[in-house]
Amino acid sequence: MNSAKKFFQNLAKYLAVALLVFIIVSPIYWILVCSFKPTRELIRVTPTFVPHTVTLFHYLGLLKETGFMTYFLNSIYVATGSAVLVVILTSLAGYSVYRCRYLGRRFFFNILLAIYIFPRVLLLLFLYPMFARLNLVDNLLSLVITYVGITAPLNVWLMRAFFTSVPLELEDAALVDGANRLQILLKIFLPLVAPGIGAVAINSFLMSYGEYLFASILIVSDQFKTLPVGMAQFLQQYEISWGWLASGSVLIILPPVIAFAFVGRYFVKGLTAGAIK
Amino acid sequence: MIEKIRRRVLQDPLFGYFLIIPILVWISVTLFYPLLRAIYTSFLNIEFLGETGRFIGWDNYARLLGDKEFRLSFVRTLVWSGANVLLQIALAFFAALVLDLEFRGQKFIRNWILLPWVIPVVVLAMIFRWMLDPTLGVVNYVLQNTNAVSSPVPFLGSVDWVMITAIFVNSWRWFPFYAVMILASLQIIPPQLYEAAKIDGASPFQQFCYITLPHIMPVLVPVILICSLWAVNVFDMIWLLTRGGPGNATQTFPIFIYQKGFQEYRLSQAATAAVFMFIFLLVYGTIYLGTVTLEEK
Repeated sequence: MNSAKKFFQNLAKYLAVALLVFIIVSPIYWILVCSFKPTRELIRVTPTFVPHTVTLFHYLGLLKETGFMTYFLNSIYVATGSAVLVVILTSLAGYSVYRCRYLGRRFFFNILLAIYIFPRVLLLLFLYPMFARLNLVDNLLSLVITYVGITAPLNVWLMRAFFTSVPLELEDAALVDGANRLQILLKIFLPLVAPGIGAVAINSFLMSYGEYLFASILIVSDQFKTLPVGMAQFLQQYEISWGWLASGSVLIILPPVIAFAFVGRYFVKGLTAGAIK
Repeated sequence: MIEKIRRRVLQDPLFGYFLIIPILVWISVTLFYPLLRAIYTSFLNIEFLGETGRFIGWDNYARLLGDKEFRLSFVRTLVWSGANVLLQIALAFFAALVLDLEFRGQKFIRNWILLPWVIPVVVLAMIFRWMLDPTLGVVNYVLQNTNAVSSPVPFLGSVDWVMITAIFVNSWRWFPFYAVMILASLQIIPPQLYEAAKIDGASPFQQFCYITLPHIMPVLVPVILICSLWAVNVFDMIWLLTRGGPGNATQTFPIFIYQKGFQEYRLSQAATAAVFMFIFLLVYGTIYLGTVTLEEK
């Protein structure tokens, strides 16, 4: 009786896990499988859930006949640039709101969190003329500047959660040794919040890498387009090629997934710590 | 001794300012400057991008509130956000409860549950547009073959379906994010509480209501706030799935503002709508936090 009950409990548990995994994975599985199917199989009335024939045809075509590589490099450039700047800004600000005492600290921290309520479209409406005046429209720098602005504030919150986990005895020890504030920040705190740096970096990288709205307006010429915009465009421009859509999707997903495989767990940790602190 | 050094070295307010000023300058340029310009422009009559415009007071606001298209987009925004919050929190809850169980591969799935969030929206929109296509989509194929429906469902092509479909797709992307946060709060509930409750004969439902729920409230409250603010702000997903259509069926605030600003080039009207949206979010956020804090007292 007891073992039967246990069996059904286990069964229910694994069914729930399977359902969750199915919800998450099925669309991704589908696009992955489709990217390797020959065109004939792609447009069959009866879709195949496991490809009958496997081909790299669409991947090769995509890389040769579209600007995919250019868009790809632009995206990597913008995302890396934003991530580096966000890491610098947020580790300074995160330490400042956690460990420094000054007038307006609480207020600044709240302001940073309040950017949740800024409508993105509103920003775009007036960043566009601003960049136009600075001659930065159609320049990848405009995207970096924007992405840092919209991702940095929330990452301060993430970074702060990591700072709070640093034991203050270490700070005391450094003080006794005669270290000044900057040294304490750079030599004691920063090395210990390395996971936080990873979390913030992946967060801003992902956001900048996949951003569409700003990239679609601030970049005009083809050679500076980032992946989301370039991809959306060439799929509409030509007669939709399902093969390109699938293989392009898989290729776009790859860099973020690889990056997440390395530092994703730090982000999860930061989110966890940030949520309960 | 250490107290003395600490006070001498750490109590230097300038250092704190010095560290936070870079980010404040950055967001002043990229966030506050556009906001101020938007407020200013909402009182001018710029009918076409590039004009200087003339001060016309509250006319734009009056016109906007009299605009049926705008009022409808307001209602759609409420429907869109409300449904997104409900669905995302429900899914996140389910996921968090599952991930809180002991099973093989639990650690792995706890990290990789964020997979939908890792994938760029543009890719998701394209994948789902394809999968939900009435003729070529795999979803309709499965539905028809299992006799769940008799004719293909126009998920993104009909006014009746498009909103629900977009809500589901958007929720699919975002729920893992909240699942991680809710899971975090589940994990700090002391297991002894459940054991004690079991001894007292509390049903699982009672345990949920009297132990789980009160403990996750401190996380759930900000999560729902963030979730709703982000839902109102969604542009990419709707635009890439539907362009706000068919008709105007999925034209929420951001879509409305984008169309006014970058397709019709009516800068003042777009700015007015954007300021209205900002104020709406501000008021909502304040009331939300106000009510919730009152409840806690």
